[in-house]
Amino acid sequence: MGLNYYHILKGVREARKLVIKGTTAAGSGHPGGSFSMAEIMGCMYSKFLRYDPKNPLWQDRDRLVLSKGHASPGLFSNLAVAGYFDKSEIETLRKFGSKLQGHPDFKCPGVEFCGGSLGLGLSFSIGMALAAKMDGKSHHIYTIIGDGESDEGQVWEAAMAGSKFRLDNLTVFLDRNFIQQDDYTERVMPLDEELIGDDISEMWKNAARWRVGDKWRSFGWNVLEIDGHRIEQIEKALNFALQTKGTPSIIVARTIKGKSVEHMEDNPKWHGVAPNPHIAPIIELEIDCQFLIAPSIIAGDMANLENEVKRASHGRADFIHLDVMDGQFVPNKTFDHEKIKQLRPITPIPFDTHLMINEPVKHVRDYVNAGSDIITVHAEVCDESSFGEIHDVLRSSSVSLGLAINPETEFPSWAEKFIPDLDQLIIMSVVPGKSGQKYIETTHEKTRRISKFLAERNFQGLIEADGGVDLTNVESCFLDGARVFVGGSAIIGQKDVRFVISEFRKRLMRARRTLLINKAYSLGSSELVTKWIDLHEVGKKKSELLQIAKESGFL
Amino acid sequence: MTEFADMRTVYGETLIKVGEENPNVVVVGADTTDSLKTKPFGKKFPNRFFNVGIAEGNLITIAAGLANEGKIPFASTYAAFLPGRCVDQIRNAVAYPTRNGKNGLNVKMIVSHGGLSVGADGGSHQQIEDIAIMRSIPNIRVLIPADTVAVEKLVRLSSQLYGPFYMRMARSKTPIIHSQTQEFQIGKGIVLQDGSDCAIVACGITVQMALDAANLLKQEGISCRVIDMFSIKPIDSELLEKAARETGGIVTCEEHNIMAGLGSAVSEVVSENYPVPMRRIGVRDQFGESARDSEVSLLLEKHGITSIHISNAVKDIRSKKQ
Repeated sequence: MGLNYYHILKGVREARKLVIKGTTAAGSGHPGGSFSMAEIMGCMYSKFLRYDPKNPLWQDRDRLVLSKGHASPGLFSNLAVAGYFDKSEIETLRKFGSKLQGHPDFKCPGVEFCGGSLGLGLSFSIGMALAAKMDGKSHHIYTIIGDGESDEGQVWEAAMAGSKFRLDNLTVFLDRNFIQQDDYTERVMPLDEELIGDDISEMWKNAARWRVGDKWRSFGWNVLEIDGHRIEQIEKALNFALQTKGTPSIIVARTIKGKSVEHMEDNPKWHGVAPNPHIAPIIELEIDCQFLIAPSIIAGDMANLENEVKRASHGRADFIHLDVMDGQFVPNKTFDHEKIKQLRPITPIPFDTHLMINEPVKHVRDYVNAGSDIITVHAEVCDESSFGEIHDVLRSSSVSLGLAINPETEFPSWAEKFIPDLDQLIIMSVVPGKSGQKYIETTHEKTRRISKFLAERNFQGLIEADGGVDLTNVESCFLDGARVFVGGSAIIGQKDVRFVISEFRKRLMRARRTLLINKAYSLGSSELVTKWIDLHEVGKKKSELLQIAKESGFL
Repeated sequence: MTEFADMRTVYGETLIKVGEENPNVVVVGADTTDSLKTKPFGKKFPNRFFNVGIAEGNLITIAAGLANEGKIPFASTYAAFLPGRCVDQIRNAVAYPTRNGKNGLNVKMIVSHGGLSVGADGGSHQQIEDIAIMRSIPNIRVLIPADTVAVEKLVRLSSQLYGPFYMRMARSKTPIIHSQTQEFQIGKGIVLQDGSDCAIVACGITVQMALDAANLLKQEGISCRVIDMFSIKPIDSELLEKAARETGGIVTCEEHNIMAGLGSAVSEVVSENYPVPMRRIGVRDQFGESARDSEVSLLLEKHGITSIHISNAVKDIRSKKQ
């Protein structure tokens, strides 16, 4: 079974946009803490929770208690995506007569705990978990607590009780976003250690300074520590927690408050402020413009692919891109599903398997079973019927569905009916077959054209640029509409993979900023550009943005 | 000779009976289970008994979580540590959550050691604010039994009726006032003695004082109606209005701050429906202090809570009326 990566990603993206819609319409609310837990929520509602929106009080459902209740927009948006109520209702958030109260409330179906007063949710969950044990029920209780909330003494009363009662049917997420209402947590009341200086990202980077996991460990809990924005890490930790017997688990998820909206990220001001309605469309575009890096390991040492996976993983790749070549569809041969199976245990990072093989429909199950999370097949060797079969196989195995087209191939008309279901489209910018080729320049125009074509046809997935992508052209590829970037010799072929991936991200960030400035300008000329840039208070963001805006002639 | 009995013992015994009848009844304690006499329940039903240690906020909120799943938790400790310490948990975890027309969660908050009569432990432990706190929170019903008969019947009733209940018991043994056949209904006071010159409304240990005062006054030819208003919320407006109309004056008595307690609850009804002269006997907005069991009567006397004070108040009202 795959991660169902794209499915989760889409849910997360949609929920984030609903948070913006709701809080903007309300004129108040808490986007920051809704975004720090967005991936956690997305994984829960897309994959882990057993629930029935038509029967919200179904006795055997899993319970999700949002103890940090001020992040209610983050809960409501996921309930809307899950189908508990119509998505348009998000605009009634915090309004008179709405079921979407300022804090989670039983008025809204799917809400399991009336939150708002901090420090209560974990105790409440313990009561739920005790009842489930008494009744011999197998449902699970999940609780999301905040780090600011952990100032409350009752959290630690509950920590002791959870351990005493051996509640292995209880799993807690600590949304460790380092920010509470007044300031950084490490200034108000350190959970790790007191922050010296102004840069909270220092706390994120330096694991030697993390103490909060030790606190929970000393209370007898099974502690798992993850990057709370990495879907694969959330899933791995949850699976581990669910298998742990005799003790409750806590997943310390290090997160970024306001994640995915640059001006909100790590800025305490966005704990409880709603976006300006003029800015909201720019924010929505920004949420749509997240990007992913997928190093292709065949650009490395083919005799030691294990090491190449490790290098990509250490370099913080988003995907591991696996180019499977059969010597028939392309002249070269690389490896097959047996190799992928061997590589699978090395990392939980999604395996982005690119099948450059003939008759993929015959082999796709092998690649599912080998542990792929995304499987992309070539349009040149598929037709409507075989791709339909591949679609069904992948869907039933929680593997995301990709289609690839060669440089000389256009998007096939038989594939149009699959567009809303398509997770990924690889637009090849070299003739597939070997690593190290030069990017074919006409692909820019082609990508722009296809991107527009897909956008008009309800495409919810991402375009992956593959072939000759490097630091010199990745920004243009982004502006063309690609959001996933395969790097062969430009990443794996480099000595310091981590460094080069971070350089890729910097370039992509710059491209995204350019795009957003453009958007701001189109909505409200230089005035809105300035207004939007002014929001970027943390670090050097503002001066960098001003420079881009000036260079591009928007100011 | 008046017979005395221990409320906590009866509470513990009743819990076991109720627990035998209904498997959903569970008990949550906070290191005072020996004192509250809930330990025997834990012996009999070890899987339905949870001691959370000295953590009252946790006690109440865990009880709320249990109630959310269909259990009927009895959460018990001393009065000073429950309403006194956990207003937030009681309000937000127990009273507030409302769905499908069910107001609040089904938690029974049963405390002991209410009022000044706690005695030796001193002012820190003498909860004289609990009625005020609990009756101001929507969805909570507030009960103060006068004797062990009331304790048994009210524990049973509260286990059968949906919703949050608060019930305060006294620390020391209390005289048995009610007959075993006495019927108890939430929201209905009990007229213990009829009379036409004045009504005395009391709750908890002051019910006996009210009866004593009525006897004293009878010797002086004054006829008092004595009401055990064990159900402070909801309160028996009908009975109070009738008493006001028929007797023309009301004296209340409670071992609680006179602000927002029984006296306030009665005067709210009387002033709106049938205003008559009233006097409120209770603690005059100050804290208590230590007193050994043999000295509790002195402590109560210092705060003006005795049958003499009640009878003086009745006479005062009568003099004003004439």
